Amino acid sequence: MATEFHNLQELRHSASLATKVFIQRDYSEGTVCRFQTKFPSELDSRIERTLLEDTVKTLNTYYAEAEKMGGQSYMEGCLACATAYIIFLCMETHYEKVLKKISGYIQEQNEKIYAPRGLLLTDPIERGMRVMEVSVFEDRGSSGSSLSSSATSGGSAQR
Amino acid sequence: MPNSVGKRFKPTKYIPVSTAATLLVGSTTLFFVFTCPWLTKAISPAVPLYNGVVFLFVLANFSMATFMDPGIFPRADEDEDKDDDFRAPLYKNVEIKGIQVRMKWCATCHFYRPPRCSHCSVCDTCVEDFDHHCPWVNNCIGRRNYRYFFLFLLSLSIHMVGVFSFGLLFVLHHMEQLGTLHTTVTLMVMCIAGLFFIPVVGLTGFHMVLVARGRTTNEQVTGKFRGGVNPFTRGCCGNIKYVLCAPLAPRYTGVDPRKKSPVSIQPPFIRPDLSDKLISIRVNDNGIHTSILRSKSKISLDGLALDEKGLDTQPPLPPKADRYTQLKSQLTSSEDSSLSGKTHPSTPAMYKYRPSFGTIPKVHYHAAGEKIEMPDKTSAILEEGRCHVDYRSEPNLDLPDYRNAPLHRAFQSSPLQLDSYPVNSRSLSLKQAHQRKDKSQLPETVTSTPYKSVFSPNTLSSRNGSLSYDSLLNPSISPAPVAECMAHPGMPSVGIHSPYLPTKTCHVRGPELQSQRQQVPPSFSPVLGSRGLGMGRSQSPHPQDRDPSPVRYDNLSKTIMASIQERKEMEEREKFQLLHHGGHSQAQDSGMFDSPSGYGLPPSACYSDGPRGPSSRGPTPPAYGGSRDNLMGVGVVNYGPRTPMLRSSGGSSLVRAPRNSSSSLHTDSNMQGSRAPEAPYRSPAHQPNHSPAMPHSPSYTHQKLSFIHALERTDSPRLGGPRDAMMQSKVNGQTDYHLGPNGSSAQGTPSRHSNVKKVTGVGGTTYEISV
Repeated sequence: MATEFHNLQELRHSASLATKVFIQRDYSEGTVCRFQTKFPSELDSRIERTLLEDTVKTLNTYYAEAEKMGGQSYMEGCLACATAYIIFLCMETHYEKVLKKISGYIQEQNEKIYAPRGLLLTDPIERGMRVMEVSVFEDRGSSGSSLSSSATSGGSAQR
Repeated sequence: MPNSVGKRFKPTKYIPVSTAATLLVGSTTLFFVFTCPWLTKAISPAVPLYNGVVFLFVLANFSMATFMDPGIFPRADEDEDKDDDFRAPLYKNVEIKGIQVRMKWCATCHFYRPPRCSHCSVCDTCVEDFDHHCPWVNNCIGRRNYRYFFLFLLSLSIHMVGVFSFGLLFVLHHMEQLGTLHTTVTLMVMCIAGLFFIPVVGLTGFHMVLVARGRTTNEQVTGKFRGGVNPFTRGCCGNIKYVLCAPLAPRYTGVDPRKKSPVSIQPPFIRPDLSDKLISIRVNDNGIHTSILRSKSKISLDGLALDEKGLDTQPPLPPKADRYTQLKSQLTSSEDSSLSGKTHPSTPAMYKYRPSFGTIPKVHYHAAGEKIEMPDKTSAILEEGRCHVDYRSEPNLDLPDYRNAPLHRAFQSSPLQLDSYPVNSRSLSLKQAHQRKDKSQLPETVTSTPYKSVFSPNTLSSRNGSLSYDSLLNPSISPAPVAECMAHPGMPSVGIHSPYLPTKTCHVRGPELQSQRQQVPPSFSPVLGSRGLGMGRSQSPHPQDRDPSPVRYDNLSKTIMASIQERKEMEEREKFQLLHHGGHSQAQDSGMFDSPSGYGLPPSACYSDGPRGPSSRGPTPPAYGGSRDNLMGVGVVNYGPRTPMLRSSGGSSLVRAPRNSSSSLHTDSNMQGSRAPEAPYRSPAHQPNHSPAMPHSPSYTHQKLSFIHALERTDSPRLGGPRDAMMQSKVNGQTDYHLGPNGSSAQGTPSRHSNVKKVTGVGGTTYEISV
């Protein structure tokens, strides 16, 4: 019976969500937004270490830039104060601009690197910047069953 | 109807903010109307201008403090907290600039609160950098709006000072007209300003100190850094700068999943090139573990081949640089390591590599599954004889890397020690075959004819006692303890063909090895059989039936693996002892191996709910789970065929909590609930004492569940015994989930001494496991 199921399923080669791997925030430097660059072991067989680490490091630099307390943020604050904060209705803050850049970057990374490997990065902003979610997909057809899904079910996907 | 109770309109919570707003706006308006005209004339027009600006500032900040999102965290998704919710420890420590900070689990929001985050009961949300909930603005003050609140306080203080001063000026000039309207109103305004002056200025001063120190009200009031160091401070100037000049933090709520073009994910998926990397080892459900060995361990196979020559060396090898001796030493060391339950962090304990025995090519290793390539390859390999099968792209004939992790060693030990020369080659080749298949073997499901052909040479050969054990239990679990020898194939499992000499299987132990080696393979059976009984435990084939996710097992934490290993070791030891007693009888027993008869419990049922793997946050996976698996050694040969059918049914009853193993650990209610469905499965004897334990099984990963089933399947007379033992271990494991597996494993094993279970290896061989 199980084999039957498998046969049927093998007919379809679609990707199904197998599991999610979470990259946590790195609080070692305070509440500045940083994500851990430690490579999660569940992804060991899905993606090269360096690729993911590069992505996370790039994101960390983006967030550092967003939270930088430099001249721009100061001017923004003064301007907002001077206009009784009405300026917020018209203008995008520096942080929001960087977030848009981050979102574009993640989208691009997903398209180029992660989707071909059956992974999907979720923008941390959707999770309250607490965690970066990596959705792991597996080839449902070859795996034959969602029961056997796992982050490392690479084999099935190889079929 | 409005959604939750919390969202009901509560007018009382708006009283303070209304009062504040009314007072502020009303008083100031009166001031402007009645006092300012004279001031304009008497002093200068700049006065009302100044007051106007300040008042505008006050209003703006008041509005921002009231209406701005303070930094509310959206609730965590189900997926995120899946592994954490029930078995999550309440606190998680994180180090911030060298100082340990505790993050508390928020039961409402389902995540560990980031540092400085707190849950506001009024707003019923977690707020980032939570300061306090201000009733006067009817809003939480958090990271995003603290600046506006602080500026509001500052500006309000200034405003009040200004209004009071100018009103006083007015009154002093109109002392003789105190009864007039203007003067009266001005006096009234002065009174209000004076009345609220003390609290407001006091609060402003308090917050000025907080800003200078870099603390939140919450931290100050709860005394978090009293006498300690505040890791969040940036120095006085840095703190002030942070409050006033930091960029406005983004909103977390109300973020729509941006309308980006959805990324399509279509297989086939690119996989990283594993030849150079460490590969995790997976066990095929048929007990043949194809492991993605670490590159080094891969080499170990080669080493095994080479090792043939060195077989006759003493197991405790003298430390020599010689490759063979190194192999041997590795073998012994692997034994040690396995016995110690060491789990290499990067090499999952489940190395379940089981060399496939060449002599059993027809064995349908897998009952199920897609991954039944093994038999084909196996036969091919067999024909090759000693040829080395290529592992992936690499010909694994490189010299083994002895410095590898225990896993690596485990591998080596098994083939080396057990097999005699001819066997070695076979086992070696089989191993290689397995290796090749490793990737594909993922869902290892026992085939429908488990008992017949399922003899899993893997199980037999897994020296790592855990190997064989694992294959039986769960392909993914293949703890390193290599030392155990699997039930010998020699045990003639009726029905199983295992022409394959059990001797080949792993006896990691040195002395045994030697004796084995020297004997003719067939003659080993009785001897090995006795020994192998111990191993037999690993042979429980039925786990293979389940839908396995050996890979999932891989994801289990080290503690689980360690516990499993320990359990196995203990069992093996016991079995080994029994073997001495059991001798032939056990071997003969193998014939009857399976009696899966009525146990329809589909072990796989639980798998569907098995945890996908430890979440990144997953707290200590219960060691209990690990031990359970170990105990599972009971072989249920027939399990395989029945599994598919039972799976669904079993699943419904067994699988319980949406959350995996954690649920069983955590909630009593869960346990109760889980007990009920399990009741039919378990013998009545178990009921009483397992209420806590039983529920665990379903909630645990499939592996664990299968474990339970396995126990049930054991000979009925033994049901009570082993199960009790198991239960005990489970309970213990459960309660001790923070601790290592030791406790649980210890409990499980002793009770099983006297029983002999027949375990069907994945390859179809039945092993006698003395329990």
